Amino acid sequence: MANRSRAKSEEKTKVYKPSRATRLFTVWRKLKKSKLAVAGFGIVVFMLIVAIFAPLVAPYAIGWTGRSRRPPSMEHILGTDASGRDMLSLIMYGARVSLYVGIAAVTLEVLIGITIGMTSGYFGGVIDEILMRITDMILTLPELPLLIVAVTFFEVRSVHIIVLVMGFLGWPYIARYVRSEFLSLKEATYVEAARSMGASSRRIILRHILPNILSLVIVLATMDIPWYIFYEATLTFLGFGDPSSPSWGVLLEKGYLYLTSAWWMITFPGLALFFTSLGFNLAGDGLRDALDVTERGR
Amino acid sequence: MTVRTYVIRRIILIIPTFFMITILIFVLIHLAPGDPAMAIIGRHNVPQDVLKEMRARLGLDQPIPVQYLLWVSRLLQGDLGKSYVSQRPVIVMITERIPRTLELMLAAELISITIAVILGVIAAVKHYGLADAVSSVGALIGYSIPTFWIALVALLVFSVSLGWLPLSGTHTSTDFPSPFHALLDHLSYLVLPAGVLILGWTAYLFRMVRSSMLEVLGQDYITTARAKGLRERVVIYKHALRNALLPVVTYLGYSIGFLLSGAAVIEYIFTWPGLGNFLVTIAQIRDYPTMMGTGAIIAIMVLVANLCADIAYAIVDPRIRYD
Repeated sequence: MANRSRAKSEEKTKVYKPSRATRLFTVWRKLKKSKLAVAGFGIVVFMLIVAIFAPLVAPYAIGWTGRSRRPPSMEHILGTDASGRDMLSLIMYGARVSLYVGIAAVTLEVLIGITIGMTSGYFGGVIDEILMRITDMILTLPELPLLIVAVTFFEVRSVHIIVLVMGFLGWPYIARYVRSEFLSLKEATYVEAARSMGASSRRIILRHILPNILSLVIVLATMDIPWYIFYEATLTFLGFGDPSSPSWGVLLEKGYLYLTSAWWMITFPGLALFFTSLGFNLAGDGLRDALDVTERGR
Repeated sequence: MTVRTYVIRRIILIIPTFFMITILIFVLIHLAPGDPAMAIIGRHNVPQDVLKEMRARLGLDQPIPVQYLLWVSRLLQGDLGKSYVSQRPVIVMITERIPRTLELMLAAELISITIAVILGVIAAVKHYGLADAVSSVGALIGYSIPTFWIALVALLVFSVSLGWLPLSGTHTSTDFPSPFHALLDHLSYLVLPAGVLILGWTAYLFRMVRSSMLEVLGQDYITTARAKGLRERVVIYKHALRNALLPVVTYLGYSIGFLLSGAAVIEYIFTWPGLGNFLVTIAQIRDYPTMMGTGAIIAIMVLVANLCADIAYAIVDPRIRYD
């Protein structure tokens, strides 16, 4: 209904403005053409469902223990761990922590990245110079060593601290892309048109530039999620993680102790990591094509 | 701007970056909760005067900016202080490990460039063919695989189950009939870490070469070259590949950061005595001065590598605009 009334009011000017739902549908229709992208979204949605409904879908409850280090069998499809817990259930609960880490860190990174990128692009001059120097500096540093150094300085081992550290060190790359996108959109004809019609800078930024930057950011963010899941798993594996939040990294850290005697303890959590990452990467690739994003960054 | 002024400008720009990085490392360490003096003593109920003496000995009683200046001036003289734990000079411990890391990275770089260029060219030339599909899927898997996990799986399969390759370290013994045997033995230790380290980077580089090559192959001068009747081989290798590799060169500078990142965990898993493994082990025991030194050295290595890549690019591509 809302669509129809809007179409009517705009009839005079003969401008067709697709509603949000229509635009989403267009993106989906393009996305659907790529089987790989659909498969990617399928994996991501599957993992999210498993994570959200872990208590319902996991075959064994959290506290359940049986015989330890049993190989995969009918009762325990993926075997049991050193304390006799069911690996499949552990992986399902682990999805909660790992996906939380990836999504939370990316959200933080995106918020900081957009703010700094837009500030830099909007003000230019000295502010731009300073912000971009800082951005470049963090970008040159190898990520994992930097994260290790940063995480070490917190006495408390907490998964939330890892998320904060990753988010606060991850934004430069987003800021870079947002800035260059902002700079090129600032000169775009439609922005000039808006300006000539007397639109305020605030309106131009929020209504005209930001929405166009968002599609780029969505693509970058989707493909960054697996990286943060990896980093958290790696940090945990190296002993800088939070043993109280059973992420896939914690499972792998424990599995490493029984590398030679219980292969299933490292194989299956790793496969879960791999498929999740594959899903996000495929989805990101598909979104890039569907949203028609060109990466103008560095 | 000529190439020379560009290079000079680029070198000068490294100075502020260096100071910013050292400040970052320093601030990270000093903003962090926890007292290094306490960390060394390792107990919580320590008499105040003992702590005070420890702080004075470590220079921790000075104001923070003074501590930073002292640290940086010593850093520039190559003095990174002593380890809290082993009491050995940090610079000695680092220089012992740098060659191992460089060796691993050089091996990884050579293998991944070779694979990425060959597969990238084939995939671009036979666009949408079988080879393109297979290598593209391979690349997708390559960068979706968690590095440290595939390292563990490789260890499990090739060392534990099949027994083809050694488990960890750098050599079996120091006594070999000839240098050639020693080299072979050493290489057998290098295979797994290098082989795992390249996965993500090769996948990334392959995509770069492929898309760059596709772009070049669509250009007019390639059509001209073909129209002149040049053989396809000449067109591809002499005309297209040379230009297609130009943008790839810039990415080689980033590779050192990428590889160092991966090396941290891979060296740890294969107990390869390099910088990455070192950083992980000292971070686990919170040996702060050693961490600061290692962090600074790693940052300097990356800065120099990026500088070299930028200069190489400026020399290789005369069309570059230096601004």
